[in-house]
Amino acid sequence: MVKIIGAIFIICATTWTGFEASRYLSERPKQLRQLKSALQSLEAEIMYGHTPLHEAARRLAAQLTKPLSWFFETFANKLTGTETTVKDAWEESLSEVWKMTALKQGEYEIMKQFGETLGRHDRVSQQKQIMLALTHLEREEADAYERQSKYEKMVKSLGFLSGLLLIILLI
Amino acid sequence: MGLEVDIIFKIAGVGIVVAFLHTVLDQVGKKEYAQWVTLFGFIYILFQVASIVDDLFQKIKSVFLFQ
Repeated sequence: MVKIIGAIFIICATTWTGFEASRYLSERPKQLRQLKSALQSLEAEIMYGHTPLHEAARRLAAQLTKPLSWFFETFANKLTGTETTVKDAWEESLSEVWKMTALKQGEYEIMKQFGETLGRHDRVSQQKQIMLALTHLEREEADAYERQSKYEKMVKSLGFLSGLLLIILLI
Repeated sequence: MGLEVDIIFKIAGVGIVVAFLHTVLDQVGKKEYAQWVTLFGFIYILFQVASIVDDLFQKIKSVFLFQ
C-alpha cells in the first residue's frame, strides 16, 4: 500500500516537471509576440503621439500583461524617479525583469542593443531602429515556434516515461 | 516461484519504457541520447539477469558437487 502511494507520488512529480518544462516552451513565443506588439506601440507613441519616453513606457505597462508590463513599469519608474540615462535605465530594468520571463539570451541582446539607441536619434532614425529590433525579434520568434513544436510533446512524454522507469527500477 | 514471475514482469516493464523513450527521443532527432538510454537499460537488465544466473549456478553446484 505504501509502495503504491510512493509510486503515485513519483509519477505525479515527474509528470508535473515535464508539463512545467513544456509550459516554459510554449510561453516563450507568446511573450515574444507581446514584446513585438509592445515595440510597435512604442513606435506609434513616438512617431504619431510625440509622447515622452516615460509616459509612453507607462502606457505600455498598462496595455501589456504581466511579466512584460513589469519591465516597462520599472523602466518608467527609473526614468522619472532616479537620475540616470535612458540606456542605463533600460538595461537595469531589463536585467531585473528578465529572470521572470521565459525569454532567452538572444532576445536579451537584441533588447539591450535597442536600448542603446533609444532616445538618441530623431524620430525617423528611431523608427528605423525599432524596425530593426522588430526584424530581429521576428527571427527569434520563428525559432521559438520551431522549438515549441519540436520539443513540447517530447518533454511531456519524457517526464511521464522517466517517472514510470524510476518506479519499475525501484519496485 | 513468485520472485521469478516478478522479475520477468520487471524486465518486460523496463523494456517497454526504454523502447518508448527511444522512440520519443528518436523522433525529435536526439539520436545520441536515445542510444544512451537504450544502452543503460540494457546494462541494468544484464546485471539483473547475471545475478539470477549466478544464483542458479550456485544452486546447481550445491546439488551436484558439494553437500
